[in-house]
Amino acid sequence: MITLTIAIFLMGVIVVGLLNKYPKTAGIIAFFVSLIPFFALLSWSSVMNITLPSYLQFLNFETSWQYNLGPGTLILQITPLGWFFLLLLSSLFPMVILFSISYFRSNAGGFYAAMLLTMLGSFGILLAQDMLTFYIFWEIMSWSILALVIRGGDRKAIVSYLSFGALSAMLILFGFMLLYFKTGTFVFAEMHLDASNLVLAAITLIVSGFAVKGALMPMHVWAPHVYSKSEEPFVAFLSGGLSKLGYFGIMLFMYGVVGFSLLSSWGTFRGVPLFGYSLAVVGAFTAFAGTVLAVMQDDLRKLLAYSSIGQLGYIAIGLGIGTPLALTGALFQALNHTFFKAVLFLAAGAVYYRTGKYKISELGGLGYKMPFTFLASLFAIFALAAIPITSGFAAKWLLYEAAIEKKFLFVTPIMLIAGVGAFLYVYKILYGVFLGEPRYNVKEAPLSQLVPMWILVLPLIIFLIFPGWFVDLTAPILQGYEMTAIPHTPYTINTSLAKYNTLAVIFAFIGTLIFAFILYLSKPQEKVDHMDNYLAGEPPELYDYISMHASSKYYEPFEEVFYPYFKRGAERMWEIILAAGEVFGSGARKIYTGIVGDYSIYILLFFLIMVGWWLLW
Amino acid sequence: MVNYIDLTIQILVAIGVTALGFAIGMLFNGIARKITARIQNRVGPPIYQGYIDVLKLFTKKTNISHGWIFDLAALFSVAGIALAFLFLPVAGVSLLSGEGDLFLILYLLAIPALGFALGAGASGNPNAAVGIMRALMTMLAYELPLVMVIIAMMVYYDTTSLAVIVQKQANMHWAIFIPVFFIGALVADMALQGMLMEKPFDIPIAPHEIATGPMVEFGGKHLGALMLYKMMGIVVETTLFVDLFLGGGVILSVSQFGWLAYVVNFIVWFLLILFVFFIALLINAVFPRFRIEQALKFYWKYDALVGLLILIWIFVGVTP
Amino acid sequence: MNHENWSKLARIMSKRSLWMIHFCTGCGAMEMPPVMTSRYDMERFGMHAMATPRQADVFLVTGYLAVKTLKRVVQVYEQMRDPKYVIGFGSCTINGGMYWDSYNTIKDLSKYIPVDVYIAGCMPRPEAIMDSFLKLFDMIDKGEAIGWQKYHKYYDQYKRNQRMAFSYRLDEVKDIKEDDKE
Repeated sequence: MITLTIAIFLMGVIVVGLLNKYPKTAGIIAFFVSLIPFFALLSWSSVMNITLPSYLQFLNFETSWQYNLGPGTLILQITPLGWFFLLLLSSLFPMVILFSISYFRSNAGGFYAAMLLTMLGSFGILLAQDMLTFYIFWEIMSWSILALVIRGGDRKAIVSYLSFGALSAMLILFGFMLLYFKTGTFVFAEMHLDASNLVLAAITLIVSGFAVKGALMPMHVWAPHVYSKSEEPFVAFLSGGLSKLGYFGIMLFMYGVVGFSLLSSWGTFRGVPLFGYSLAVVGAFTAFAGTVLAVMQDDLRKLLAYSSIGQLGYIAIGLGIGTPLALTGALFQALNHTFFKAVLFLAAGAVYYRTGKYKISELGGLGYKMPFTFLASLFAIFALAAIPITSGFAAKWLLYEAAIEKKFLFVTPIMLIAGVGAFLYVYKILYGVFLGEPRYNVKEAPLSQLVPMWILVLPLIIFLIFPGWFVDLTAPILQGYEMTAIPHTPYTINTSLAKYNTLAVIFAFIGTLIFAFILYLSKPQEKVDHMDNYLAGEPPELYDYISMHASSKYYEPFEEVFYPYFKRGAERMWEIILAAGEVFGSGARKIYTGIVGDYSIYILLFFLIMVGWWLLW
Repeated sequence: MVNYIDLTIQILVAIGVTALGFAIGMLFNGIARKITARIQNRVGPPIYQGYIDVLKLFTKKTNISHGWIFDLAALFSVAGIALAFLFLPVAGVSLLSGEGDLFLILYLLAIPALGFALGAGASGNPNAAVGIMRALMTMLAYELPLVMVIIAMMVYYDTTSLAVIVQKQANMHWAIFIPVFFIGALVADMALQGMLMEKPFDIPIAPHEIATGPMVEFGGKHLGALMLYKMMGIVVETTLFVDLFLGGGVILSVSQFGWLAYVVNFIVWFLLILFVFFIALLINAVFPRFRIEQALKFYWKYDALVGLLILIWIFVGVTP
Repeated sequence: MNHENWSKLARIMSKRSLWMIHFCTGCGAMEMPPVMTSRYDMERFGMHAMATPRQADVFLVTGYLAVKTLKRVVQVYEQMRDPKYVIGFGSCTINGGMYWDSYNTIKDLSKYIPVDVYIAGCMPRPEAIMDSFLKLFDMIDKGEAIGWQKYHKYYDQYKRNQRMAFSYRLDEVKDIKEDDKE
């Protein structure tokens, strides 16, 4: 079945690519193809100790697949970790395709073809059991993303993605080579690593290679350009789904291949491996800096891009701390981020579809015009800001608890402040796009765009009420790392420090809402016009040439304070590195003079050095 | 098997304590105005003025609404603040505080704030938007020193649960008697000034600059709900401070003294939150208003610096 | 609680917590600081200066009203929520005061919005202002301060007068004709 899946995907790529002139047909075909990974996921649910009714498992996939290649064997096998990330990607992907059916009016065949290829690549990555397979599928994924970035057509985005993608691939490849050199095998299960510096170098290279895809600072430079200049459904999948693959890779290699005890052997600090500690610090810095930069953006997509970077930083913190609590929190954050960020990007796409605008200062008042889009993004925003009426809070809470448990005294305040900073930029979205002065007389987004958004909101609500179900999902993953899942019941989570009971929160909130509702109903009210505002007695219609929407330069005082510290961003750093490389390169180029005499002298020198070395040895 | 009688009693106690919280909040409004008036050599309103104001707002004949998002503000602000209060240990009595912890409380406090911000944004008045911008930035400013102190306490007491922190301070082992947390209490008190939106940090409200900022379009019952939120907010925030540093006002243990302990503890708790609020009022009465960048710089430069010293102190002092 | 008692309670609450918005058109604003601050201290009656009309109960028009400012006064008055009361402050609001022959100034405020209490004087002293407040309390208590009901009842007449004034046809502004029957 796995062979068949790959074949169907490849055929689908060809078919939808040929149907470029019929975007709707291509979209529908792509949608049906995109459902296959989800069915595979259902049939593999026994890996997670979940028993599903048989009518959900009508397709029967084998759990492992092998193909003998010259130097090694290509192995695909479902693991709990792969299952978990496949859950995120395979449930997001059909929704994104469904959204794009009405989003694209023409010229969409290439889009669907490349999207199917990225999903095929991710499918392979998540199942790969050896470095060869992993790398092959990683390259398929990376190059098809490049095709989608090129569709966006922005030169800076293409160049930055290409260079950072190449950097990432090189780092990963170099790390794999070191591991192969050390162990002589490609297969994860057969590797027997020791605490040598070579392995440390390999794992550092691999993790920094994955950090590019996960947009950890300072490797995040490509993300804002790509996110803000590509097509919206793709960006939703890139930010929601594909960026998780970086963290999947980090988790696979840090805890699956290397393992916690080996990580600890390179030095620990207060019970946390130094390797993980530095990853957590980088993650905290990313969370904070991403948040601050997000507050300063005016382009809706750029804001969401920096917010993505900040939120992904939390996952890195969790993976760095590495206790069961922290890993659970990191996975939970990955799940939440998949869904809420996809909803937000899709909502941005729906807003663009109706208004043709991305600048926050040019939008406004869409909340009453597009109420369902607004409500879906409101839920997503609650999840992003970790308000305890969506599941977003539980993830952040687990991470905070893990940090306090390991006494991360300086990282935790940064995490919390990044969380507060999230309120700032989510309010910018809320006010700038959905509230305030109504500027556009538009209709609600089409149903085929609303349905995916609302389906993606559902997990945020389900895991709000039953965070214990999520912890159940993590149990097999942690078991693989010789850890046990954190104590829980369906609606409570216990840690060594405190307890979180979602049922108490929900019922108390419903109770207080009823109380507030009674107060609210105590008196009748009349609706007044939206523009019936108090402006020192000035009727607004006298001043229709002045916009009453105060969203332009909304956080100006904030920018005044923070901009000096952030104006020399990471891009500047990379430019300096690039300039240094150019100086070095042009210096090295001088060797090639083009004169035959010089070359013969080089050969002679080389020969002499070799002979001298041999004699001295 | 759920014990329905116990559950009913718990719900009734919760309702009673919430009502008491609102009542104390309204009383505090009157007391605050009276004290401010006395500092300014005025007579001032009667101390029950808060009750009259809220009742008047709820008996207004006509109310206006700018649409359903606007109404969310009234609902979320009252519900959210009452919810936050339920999760606080009050005078050692923990209603729901065993079910959540300090992080939950910090985020529950964001529900009314965000709901309020939604309504203010929906009113479409530019003053409201500017006010919310200022409120969020003030929040960002004061949270840094506050969370630094709170995290230092969490690590020191090795728990994140506020109820446990209060328990560990029983028998007058209040945190404020530990030198490092005495300094911490001063830092947190500065943060509390911003939380309570008293001068010099009443930047979001600023009636003379931006016409009470977020509240500019609210009138009648909507404003009444917001006043309830603000008044209850005083109680919640001062109680948070008292729970953290003053042992929640617990001086008698319930197991030893029975019902008497509840009464005495409640009175002590009331006096302590009044005292904490009184300090905020004194600062409020004599200071002018900061600009928003100045507030941010004050909190992040001076207050957070002291907070950082406390963190280093705990970092060195606490061995894992 | 029956309706009679309820409205009586509402009146008591309304009386003890009058939030004021003052529309400082003329020189009258000068007399407000002493009223608010420690010399006279209107807060002891629960009165409080508010920033916006949405929050306010009593509207203080302090001084002369040009036609241009009248537009703003009407806008502010209509944004206030019932029950609302208006205090005309100084001679200018009664008969134009020293601007009695101005082409651009309205003479009698009560032709445009219902006024509950007038304070005579140019300027009225703070004592007079305090006295007007007490008078207003008394009227609210007895249910006589019904300007806002009048505005609803004779809305077309008020609107007509406002329209005439806005188009500078001040001589066509008429008195508000009240029905003797209830």
